[in-house]
Amino acid sequence: MSEPGRLDLPERPVGRLAPAPARAKPFSWERALLGWHSLVVYLFLYVPILILILYSFNRSKQTAAWEGFTLEWYSRLLHNELILRAVKNSLVVALTTTAVTTIVGTLVALALARRNFGGKAATQAALYLPVIIPEIVVGAALVTFFGAVQMRLSLVTVIVAHVVFCVSYVAIVVRARLAGFDRSLEEAAADLGAGPWDTFRRVTLPIILPGILAGALLAFTLSIDDYVITSFVAGVGATTLPIQIYSMLKVGVTPEVNAVSTLLLLVTVALIALAQRMQQEPSAKGGKKK
Amino acid sequence: MRKIVAAALATLALGAFTACGKKAEEPKAAAADAGSLNIYIWSAYLPQEVIDQFSAQTGIKVRFDLYDSNEALLEKLQSGVADYDLVVPSDYMVRILIAEKLVQPLDHAKLPNFKNLDPRFLDKEFDPKNAYSLPYFWGTTGLGYNEEKLGPIDSWESLFDPKHKGRILMLDDMREVFGVALKTMGKSLNETDPAVLKQAAEKLKKQKALVATYNSGDFANILAAGDVDLAHGYNGQIAEVVAKEPDKLAYVVPKEGATLWMDNVCIPAKSRNVENAYKFIDYIMEAKVNAQIVNGVSYASANVPAREFIVPEILGDPSIYPPDEVIARCEFMEDVGDTTTLLDQFWTEIKAQ
Repeated sequence: MSEPGRLDLPERPVGRLAPAPARAKPFSWERALLGWHSLVVYLFLYVPILILILYSFNRSKQTAAWEGFTLEWYSRLLHNELILRAVKNSLVVALTTTAVTTIVGTLVALALARRNFGGKAATQAALYLPVIIPEIVVGAALVTFFGAVQMRLSLVTVIVAHVVFCVSYVAIVVRARLAGFDRSLEEAAADLGAGPWDTFRRVTLPIILPGILAGALLAFTLSIDDYVITSFVAGVGATTLPIQIYSMLKVGVTPEVNAVSTLLLLVTVALIALAQRMQQEPSAKGGKKK
Repeated sequence: MRKIVAAALATLALGAFTACGKKAEEPKAAAADAGSLNIYIWSAYLPQEVIDQFSAQTGIKVRFDLYDSNEALLEKLQSGVADYDLVVPSDYMVRILIAEKLVQPLDHAKLPNFKNLDPRFLDKEFDPKNAYSLPYFWGTTGLGYNEEKLGPIDSWESLFDPKHKGRILMLDDMREVFGVALKTMGKSLNETDPAVLKQAAEKLKKQKALVATYNSGDFANILAAGDVDLAHGYNGQIAEVVAKEPDKLAYVVPKEGATLWMDNVCIPAKSRNVENAYKFIDYIMEAKVNAQIVNGVSYASANVPAREFIVPEILGDPSIYPPDEVIARCEFMEDVGDTTTLLDQFWTEIKAQ
């Protein structure tokens, strides 16, 4: 079985925009080159996003030319019922998916880390499948499944589909957190008279909480971004934001889309940065020891 | 002891899941009522006020979702569990949907406003006698160009002129691109003679060195941005950028002739609100309502009496409503059967060059 945590996904380079600060050392070419190299790589990754943000303030409706600063697109966005409806759908899906996957994923991770049961290896392997299988295959498989069970496509099928592909990510992240878990802490709590619920609530949960939160935030970002799977399983009244934007391509994307993308980007980046922090900082209360 | 915890969490999880399930399921339940209609349509094809009026008049609750390609629509209908009552596929997709039995035959007796439709857009090869579909919008595939820089242009030959090297955009669409080459050779875009097609392929292979990009998505924006001077494209999007810079850009249906495209209203085979779909289709074929749609989204409809109510800026715009002699030199794309395989092969050779 592969190491838990090998697919530890929040390793996105958010929050590390600047090259590592050089310590007071004599000048070295290697270090300077590395710094420049990093800078170029980060520019390559982030300049397009910065341009998108910049153009959401562009007065011109044409995407190409800069004609001055305006907040018009943001105010128009507030009156664009179609985009707002899509944003609402996306938020309903993402929040529900996050709630469900966080609970189920955490339970799965606990079961896999703590218990021995028949089919454990198979369960573990199955857990990685939605992460590894191409999205388009997951989408096609799900729509076939919904057809087979005669479940009509709607916002519910979108939520079910998102839960399917997000739950693995949560489980894997929480599992990674549990891998470094010192069981003697729980034993100590039990020795000192804590019941199972108290032990869980006051010892186990605080220690794995950063992992759970990171998993939840990851699920949220994956869900709100998803186009491929959603496009397969969306039904009546389930036009999410990514689908809305793609459908607008036929008549030309307006700067309102830049504006809504910018807002969404800010939320996503903030959430990922938060997720990273949660993963890195051992909880003060839990006092994780190695 | 841990069992209790697990059970508690499981209950919580289950509770959360069913709760959200119920909440999101409401619209699904409503769809089963007699009073609703679910439309699946292209973006910017149906003004909201038309939907609102229809709902106010009939009490039918209308919901609509958007798709970005004919293929997305096909996939959705193939699932067998998409709850749509009205869809708007393009001509070639109508043929596929009929063959796959995904749309149902139309009862013309329920559509008294059928008489409003222009016979020039009826009874086409993809759906003889309009047994399954009715025209919604139509248009041409022509040439958008920078008139300010190039002066007036009226021929597809400009797309093969070495002096425009690197300033040419072609649609990323096999049939459309072959159509251009065939038209310059004086042939039909539904040509099936392998020798003629080979000649067309040779011409397109040579042309590739001049082409900056093959693009079917935002060709109009690329033209407007000045990245190319000549763009092969659909009239709707190009008309939109031309309207913003009428002194600089222009759209022309070249003198050799071009493709006519048409998007059509169909009722999916699995629709559960068939009667409401008929009511809506007949409603949007009423002259005034149809004119309202055209005025709202700037595409040409096939409705004759509606023209009386269409604003002159749209009715008089030759890139939206081309004059009769232009329509006369255009053709619909037809199914070319096995020739598609040969075209595919040539197209791969061109693109892989």
